[in-house]
Amino acid sequence: MRRQILYILCSLLFILVGCKQKAELPSQFSEANAEAKIYPDYKDVVVPPNIAPLNFIVTDSAATAFVTHLQGGGKELLAAASDNGVIKMDSTEWRALLEANKGGEVKVDVYAKRDGGWVHFKPYKFSIAEEPIDAFVSYRLIEPGYELYRQLGIYQRNLTTFDEKPIYENNRQYAEGENHCINCHNFQMGSTENMLFHVRSNHSGTIIVQNGKAHKIQFKDSTIITSGVYPSWHPTENLVAFSTNKTGQVFHLYHPEKIEVMDERSDLLLYDVAKNEVSHIIRTTYDLETFPCWAPDGRTLYYCTSYIKPLLIPELPDSTVTQQLLLKYDSLRYNLMSIPFDPATRSFGQPQLEIDAASEQKSISVPRVSPDGRYILYTKGDYGQFHIWHKSSDLWVKDLQTGECRPLQEANSDDVDSFHSWSSNGRWFVFSSRRMDHNYSRLFVAYFDKQGRARKPFLIPQEDPEWNVLLLKSYNVPEMSRDAVRISLEALHKCIYDTEAENAVYKPNPTAIVKLDGVTGASPKKP
Amino acid sequence: MQKSSKQPHKAATKQTAAPLKKKDSVFSFQLLSAKLPVLVIFFFLTWLWSGWYYGSVFYISREYSYWVADSRIMNFVLSQPYGILRYIGRAILLLYKFPWLGGLVMALMLTSGSWLTGYCLRLRGSWRTLQYLPSLLYMAVVTWNGLDIFFEARTGFIFGIPLLALIVLMVCALIIRSFSRKTTPAFFANPAGESPRQHCIQLGIILVIMAAVVGFDMWKRPYVRVICRLLDMEYRQDWNGIQKLARENAMMSNRPMACSYAIALVQTGQIAERLYDIRLDYDSLHVHGMDWKHNNASVLYVPEGNYYGGFIESAQHACMEQMVMTGPTIRLLKLQTKCALMREEWELAEKYLALLRLVPFEGAFLKKYEPMVRHLDKVNADPEMALIRLTEPIHDSFENQYQQPLFMGYNLLLVEGRSSQALTNSLSVCLYTKLMPQFVERLEPIVGTTPSSIIMDGILLAENKQPGLSQHFTGMNFRQPQFQTFLHTVQPYMKDRAGYANELFPKYKGYYPYYYFFGNLKATKKGYTSLSSSSSGVN
Repeated sequence: MRRQILYILCSLLFILVGCKQKAELPSQFSEANAEAKIYPDYKDVVVPPNIAPLNFIVTDSAATAFVTHLQGGGKELLAAASDNGVIKMDSTEWRALLEANKGGEVKVDVYAKRDGGWVHFKPYKFSIAEEPIDAFVSYRLIEPGYELYRQLGIYQRNLTTFDEKPIYENNRQYAEGENHCINCHNFQMGSTENMLFHVRSNHSGTIIVQNGKAHKIQFKDSTIITSGVYPSWHPTENLVAFSTNKTGQVFHLYHPEKIEVMDERSDLLLYDVAKNEVSHIIRTTYDLETFPCWAPDGRTLYYCTSYIKPLLIPELPDSTVTQQLLLKYDSLRYNLMSIPFDPATRSFGQPQLEIDAASEQKSISVPRVSPDGRYILYTKGDYGQFHIWHKSSDLWVKDLQTGECRPLQEANSDDVDSFHSWSSNGRWFVFSSRRMDHNYSRLFVAYFDKQGRARKPFLIPQEDPEWNVLLLKSYNVPEMSRDAVRISLEALHKCIYDTEAENAVYKPNPTAIVKLDGVTGASPKKP
Repeated sequence: MQKSSKQPHKAATKQTAAPLKKKDSVFSFQLLSAKLPVLVIFFFLTWLWSGWYYGSVFYISREYSYWVADSRIMNFVLSQPYGILRYIGRAILLLYKFPWLGGLVMALMLTSGSWLTGYCLRLRGSWRTLQYLPSLLYMAVVTWNGLDIFFEARTGFIFGIPLLALIVLMVCALIIRSFSRKTTPAFFANPAGESPRQHCIQLGIILVIMAAVVGFDMWKRPYVRVICRLLDMEYRQDWNGIQKLARENAMMSNRPMACSYAIALVQTGQIAERLYDIRLDYDSLHVHGMDWKHNNASVLYVPEGNYYGGFIESAQHACMEQMVMTGPTIRLLKLQTKCALMREEWELAEKYLALLRLVPFEGAFLKKYEPMVRHLDKVNADPEMALIRLTEPIHDSFENQYQQPLFMGYNLLLVEGRSSQALTNSLSVCLYTKLMPQFVERLEPIVGTTPSSIIMDGILLAENKQPGLSQHFTGMNFRQPQFQTFLHTVQPYMKDRAGYANELFPKYKGYYPYYYFFGNLKATKKGYTSLSSSSSGVN
């Protein structure tokens, strides 16, 4: 009996080994005049030395087998594929290849076996940078846009391997009392030690994770528009800046862009995590402030704002604001602002205009300051702030030393290039883009050199490169971190399901900017 | 042993000799059960039910499902409770691409289940009837659920539940067989020791229960098979078939059927000629959403309604909302592919085609639509898509500005269309919703022409408030007398229009003024249906 089992196991092993494509360089081949067509496009990109293997697919319907030969710095790597063209590289060999070529280049030769024999395509290259990328990127996986949600989760991908683990997933099966949405996860300065995300609908609140423990809070005050929305964790203090937005979305009927998401009102809040106190940073009626972002020194808060009063007809009541803005959705434009902050006294100074995008008929959103504090990376589109649905949206950078603003041409595409996050060494950034199929956003990584220029970005590698096509979810809100999230799924589940949100105490900040002209309805509580 | 086993048979033959002469039916029962074992007859009956009678329902269930071998893609199913069961159930359901094949497998499962039940429970003689009850109960439950078996994609359970039952029974049988060494009854022959009379009783009870199940379906769920057959024809673009079937069931009224019928009429250019050939009062359907609450079944027709109405982005929107809620389905991926092709979103079309390529038996769809990728000329040359192009909006606006469903709401406010078809659709929707001022406003482009019959009737009705309106059109004189006669004839019924609507329908079938006064009395200016907005938000 034992002998039979052993025989079966040996047979299975033999079959498995036999099935694996044997990589062997063809001894005879003819030269092709073209480069191989590969997916994703990894030609001429700059990659970090710690990235996972850039597996890819060679598309050549006339070929029945493929071999890829990577070489550089005295190291080489061979990988083969059957007629499906899926090239999967050995991780150990890949790591050795990258290590040997730090700061250098790797040459890639692709061979295809056709009826007439092997064909060698023109080789291409990619470069390996000296600087590594933060190992982890967290994102939400959700179907692109629209109103409803069902199964969604926040996941963490180890970029040095192919490991993807859920940080939190909502209920898998529909249950009226359980359905909830999760969004806007954020870390403090690239460390998962302090983390937060929001839960909407059932079990709602903002989940704050500190010291490995999670608790749930909420902002309920007559002066606060809704709850905390877009967050930014202060780099040194136990503070979080939030925007609070009254948001709506509409669906185009005949337009290249499918969805428009607009704010009707928005303000900025400051939340003191330790004291569980919330206050306004800016509270205005006709300025829509959103997307707060701290500078790494914690002394400046950047944000976007749009002045909507000129778009509104004064004679019409406040209840028509949404409809009025809807009719002028493509005239809604956001500028980049900054406001000084003194961490010691927790006081704010006067807002300053950083980039007047509205005057050039453009609009800015998602400012993110580089870890060295020199650059602000932001997205610029023709209008609005929800640029993840705007094809005009491109990545731009402002040099805070020179004041120069310019697009990151090398990283941008014809489609949406939007939400982005810096690696902690400032040499890499990850961003979401819809360039692959114009609908499902995917994550790209680009090198950012010391001169403030980006290089051609590359799609984050997958063990099976076809997964980029088959996945029916979008990558949403990528956030990089040096370390992995340590709190368990169970602990987050327990916090979300079993605890009630603790209401933050509203404590007005005397230095807050308050402009409430024209507000109707209940008298606002003045800070 | 031999003697004892034959004795009961002889005794039974004696006992049943007299009734045999009296009743031919019993005789034929006996003859049937003598030549064909009850289990085999049961197999053929269940095959008939699952392959032919209910085959169209299971076929549509397959379209409302999705299965590929890749567990990553199927995680949306596998991560749910009983995920493996749903996963395997969905895999087997794919066989319903060919209803005879799917039916064969289902019949085999139900028959095997019955056989094993009898074995495990050690049923003998007339008690053996009990072994068929679980399978018959399954058929009854499926029939009771009607559209619910595939609505909201609970499709994994169709085969999953009988499969689970079968596995449990097999395990039980194996245990019994291992310990008691009890012999298994023959599958293809009547068990030894049972009389023909007992077989007759078994067969009789089976037939009665099956008749009850089918009878219940015909009496309480008559629309289920009709809707499924209509959807099947819609996917096959059998526009004449849809019209024929809908008219055959003209008294039956539900929105999915009305939408399929309207789509077929639009595709054949008859929307302003034949829309009122079927009753449009909309009886309540037994259909439930994920929340198990009664649902208006808009899920069954809104994406297609938007697509065939020329609202491609809204069709994508409706498809995506459903994909979010239920995961991908073959039907949604196909419609998404067509929408992506029409919007020239080639990479997106390739994505959906790649997902369909992994599904067994979808070669025909791929063969038709794959060559269209990156070939706009081929897209525009497709008869269906070419016709849809004619009714696409000219200008952008937002869905939210219109009543739902959009393919009706937009047409109520149509200001500028790109073709006469767009105008016809708009006029037809105005008449359907009985909004005569909007109808009259949109007549100007056809002034001086001879309108189609339904539009003529609409003009005659609108003339009450706009005297002389009909003079702007030709051919109205022929229509006028019929209209006057109708008004005169229905006068006595006007005091209770809802009460007399059904009675008058056969007489005035197809005649718009009847619909105007007696049809669809629940229709208002407000939305007719709407998708649930629960769990919604900005994502």
